[in-house]
Amino acid sequence: MSALDILIILLRVAFGAFVPLSFVAVLVWMERRGAAFFQDRAGPNRCNVYGIRAGGLIQNLADGIKLIFKEDIVPGHIQHKLYFILAPMLVFITALLCFAVIPFADVLVLGDREYVMQAVPMDVGILWFLAVVGFGVYGIILAGWSSHNKYGVLGGLRAAAQVISYEIPMGLSLVSLLAVYGTVDLSAIAQYQGQLLFGFIPAWGFVLQPLGVIIFIVAAFAETNRTPFDLAEGESEIVAGYHVEYSSMKFALFFMGEYVAMFVSSALIVTLYFGSYQIPWLSTETLVAHARPVVILLMIGLPVIAYFFAGWIKKNNRTHYYRADDPRSRETAIYVSLLWSLVVVLEVILLIYLIFAAGGAADRILVLLLQIGSFLIKTFLMCFVYVWVRWTLPRFRYDQLQKIGWEKMLPLALLNIFITGAIIVSFS
Amino acid sequence: MAEMVKLFVNGQEVEVESGKNLIDALKVVGIEIPHFCYHPALGADGNCRMCLVGIEDGRPPIVPACKTPVQAGMKVLLDAEHIKKIQHDVLEFELINHPIDCPVCDQAGECSLQDYYMKYSLDDSRMRVDQVAKAKRMDFGCGVVHDQERCVLCARCVRFTRQITKTGELGIVNRTDAARVTIFPGRPLNNRYALNIVDLCPVGAMTSQDFRFRQRVWFLKKDASICHGCSRGCNIYIDHHREKYKDDIIYRFRPRTNLLVNGYFICDAGRLSYKEENENRQVTSLIEGRQAPFDETIAAIRQKLDQARKPLILISPDCSLEQMWAVRRVSTLYGASLSGFSDAYVKAGDGDDFLINDDKAANRRGLELLGIKTDRKSFIEALQKTDLFVNFNNDLHFSGVDEEIDALLGTVQSIAVCSHQRDVFKTASIILPIASYSEYGGTIINQDYVLQAFAKAVVKNEAGKDMLEVTRLLGGAVIDARHAWPGIRKSVACLADVDPAAIPAEGIKLQTGEDANVGA
Amino acid sequence: MSIKVRVVERKGRTFLEQLYLVEVVKGMTVTLGHFFRNLLDNSRLYVRHYPEVKPEISPRWRGRHRLTRHEDGSVKCVACFMCQTNCPSNCIMIEAGERFDGRSEKMPVKFDIDLLECIYCGYCVEACPMDAIRMDTGIFSVTSNSRESLLIGLEQLMETPGGFSEVDYHKGGG
Ligand code: SF4
Ligand code: SF4
Ligand code: SF4
Ligand code: SF4
Ligand code: FES
Repeated sequence: MSALDILIILLRVAFGAFVPLSFVAVLVWMERRGAAFFQDRAGPNRCNVYGIRAGGLIQNLADGIKLIFKEDIVPGHIQHKLYFILAPMLVFITALLCFAVIPFADVLVLGDREYVMQAVPMDVGILWFLAVVGFGVYGIILAGWSSHNKYGVLGGLRAAAQVISYEIPMGLSLVSLLAVYGTVDLSAIAQYQGQLLFGFIPAWGFVLQPLGVIIFIVAAFAETNRTPFDLAEGESEIVAGYHVEYSSMKFALFFMGEYVAMFVSSALIVTLYFGSYQIPWLSTETLVAHARPVVILLMIGLPVIAYFFAGWIKKNNRTHYYRADDPRSRETAIYVSLLWSLVVVLEVILLIYLIFAAGGAADRILVLLLQIGSFLIKTFLMCFVYVWVRWTLPRFRYDQLQKIGWEKMLPLALLNIFITGAIIVSFS
Repeated sequence: MAEMVKLFVNGQEVEVESGKNLIDALKVVGIEIPHFCYHPALGADGNCRMCLVGIEDGRPPIVPACKTPVQAGMKVLLDAEHIKKIQHDVLEFELINHPIDCPVCDQAGECSLQDYYMKYSLDDSRMRVDQVAKAKRMDFGCGVVHDQERCVLCARCVRFTRQITKTGELGIVNRTDAARVTIFPGRPLNNRYALNIVDLCPVGAMTSQDFRFRQRVWFLKKDASICHGCSRGCNIYIDHHREKYKDDIIYRFRPRTNLLVNGYFICDAGRLSYKEENENRQVTSLIEGRQAPFDETIAAIRQKLDQARKPLILISPDCSLEQMWAVRRVSTLYGASLSGFSDAYVKAGDGDDFLINDDKAANRRGLELLGIKTDRKSFIEALQKTDLFVNFNNDLHFSGVDEEIDALLGTVQSIAVCSHQRDVFKTASIILPIASYSEYGGTIINQDYVLQAFAKAVVKNEAGKDMLEVTRLLGGAVIDARHAWPGIRKSVACLADVDPAAIPAEGIKLQTGEDANVGA
Repeated sequence: MSIKVRVVERKGRTFLEQLYLVEVVKGMTVTLGHFFRNLLDNSRLYVRHYPEVKPEISPRWRGRHRLTRHEDGSVKCVACFMCQTNCPSNCIMIEAGERFDGRSEKMPVKFDIDLLECIYCGYCVEACPMDAIRMDTGIFSVTSNSRESLLIGLEQLMETPGGFSEVDYHKGGG
């Protein structure tokens, strides 16, 4: 193994571990700001370090510090301390492990070697995901049960029943999808979606499986215990459900676990149905072949985007009431200059690339970065859908939840299999 | 049992005792006739006219109920329109010059005028001329404060000083709207029952300097009890209240009617003795002056009693019968001599022929019946022999220092089980706090051998233990007050068939000694 | 005369509605509209920038209490305990004493309100026969770092001025 091999393995693993973690911060922020804007509120806009609020991100820092320094209580009535402590870890770790099999860029070809861009290159892909995600619910059940608290137990029971009900439609919708792709390897699935259908439609999952994508997304919401399926913590009736007895970092693990799970399932939805890292109409080979024009386009696009962004910042980052010597205009000035310096740095890097490094390996790395960017943007948008749904829909009642699962989604998923099967058979 | 007669009230047949007037007789069956001037202790004066009722087929058709004895077959009208109008008009008349001070009037909440207004009138005043101003906040002496404006001139107070105390300090002077109750110049109220006027006054014209403005009466919890001020055992209400964030304290004592013992009144000293219950209380257990937990103190006392050669136990004559019994049992348990010596509680010549007795001990008869020696000689002998003196709340200094006994006490080790901080207990090496009589229940026997029961009223934040409980912790066999009774019944002949749970409100007159002989 | 009966159509029973999806999408468009409106221009948020921008309080608002005074500055309260009697949370604690200024016989020597227990129901104001206690200070944020300081006494209650003019107070706000 060469040094390059080791470096790339390290990078891959680091990507798999740290991207979900750093996304937690972004997602928490997005949830808060999103919630606020959906409801015509402002969201976190007070926490600051020397007047810099980073659009509310500093709030996360404050929360983190708070959670770390809170007293870590194990209530006296708890009999199985080990399970009680194990539960949040389980939730968190399983959520994180799921991400390991998701490809975030096309296979990197450097010289004669190929590197699969997955934290753990594994060709069982989707099966691994199903296995590990199903394991995560044990964390919740364990937490509910070991809390020795009726609300906790109810929360755990609800979570268990819900996950069982929705794993079936989820699995069935996957069956038809896999029939289309003909593989369980996520890398292969991603590559498959680089093709064009009839020569002009990107062959993304949601085009091939319009019914399947809906079923899968709904089931994924249920699996992650997000609204409208968050009955496990229904605070109005069972306080906070399974994590009612948790505090401090143990609670934080549940909290972060939820966001990691949301991120991972977004990533999976993107991988399966929304073309993974593919940039529409620009397959890897096309990109590698036309690296220069792409870069030039980028160099033109960047300042334009930055211009509008800066305008938006200036418009919105100010105090909306009378305030002498508004400190927020100072803050705005800093943001805008930071933005422009970033643009300049990027332009310089791109220019250097254009002049010195175009062609060869550098092109491949450029495409890799572009694809990672595309993957992250898509995932981010999918996460936004999660937030969007959460702040739009009320929670289902428990009977409704089960009814939808068994009476609507299950038949639909079966129907989907028949239709898919019929089409595949008739075409082959 | 008095003879019963049947009569009709508003057409309804009721059966009442004969020989009473309409107000008293109908009250027993729950029919109220409004009245100001009549009071069973003072008789009917007939001056207020509030009690007018109709008698159908009677001559005259309208009579004052206070002056009308019940008769068989009488047809009394209470709810007829003309009777209601009379009540309404009498009230309007009373209220012409009434200041309606209710917000600042101590009587509000237990004021007849207020109650009747709410029940029979509820009209706005029609007066357009200024009210007659009279004196307010007049000091009548003996802690009685008079407000002439609020007076309804029922003359109860005047009659009290004339008929009951026979001192006659009060009188009504002038006529019509200038009439007022007053004292003779320079001669304020001067008798030992004066504060009863405050209870007698149906309105807030007479208030007590002591209770004035201290609490609104509707906050007070009113529990029946017995005054422990002297051997009369007057029946009282303990009016107490726990203010938020504070302790349960007693605000006043009021007389409770018991024709067998005290009638309708109590003496002023007894009335003010509630202060004793609030103040100077022993609340901490002390061992050699050091604050110690209760359990540790009990253990220390037990140990001392076990080690002592010949302990002497002195018990207070204020204790309940059950407590005395329990202490007696404990004294036998430890082989101690027991005394109820309490000559200090007798203040010769202090008593009178009404309520106040010379003997300030509440339950001396109890000591006597239980056969506990109270004489000085045997006590001093025992004290000379003893090496451990345990004092159960007996204030040997009740009427001053007793040199001889103090000298003897100085030579022995002593333990005090006491409810109050007093001089005599100061020298004790161990002090254990206990409940005082407002905080426990029991029975006592008064001077005239009337056995009366009283119940726990006040619950302190840091409640002292009942003396009974202390004796139990010291190894005594008596678990609670009820548990003492089989033993008491066996050893005291005249209590042989008493059921402590069934003692009537007015008590039981015991057949003892000569009485018993006379009865036999 | 017959009663007019209007039959209201019951929503949510058609197949499309039962499918939820269409309705969900409809709802989500609405919220997305709000999201973008606020994202693009956050001055349009329906928020008040408290604490910098204080809300306008109507004279009928039941804020922190105060004890009113006569023109000569003496307290109007006559310690009648009506407020204490009526207080559902038992948070008024009065001690009365003699008064010799000729206005009344009685006045409070101690008048404590435990603001932590108070539920701001205003019954005390309703009960007062003297118009001596009012909740018109306009103080709506009662905060402190210690419990003790929220047991406010006679001085504090008397020195707080009313937040509104007498006329506005009696009008009850427009
Ligand atoms: S005497 Fe009665 S009616 Fe008169 S002011 Fe006092 S409480 Fe009110
Ligand atoms: S002071 Fe009271 S008891 Fe005396 S006459 Fe007046 S109302 Fe009657
Ligand atoms: S507002 Fe209500 S709760 Fe508060 S002090 Fe007044 S009566 Fe009591
Ligand atoms: S009700 Fe009014 S006058 Fe009476 S005590 Fe309360 S504040 Fe004072
Ligand atoms: S009670 Fe009969 S006249 Fe006064």
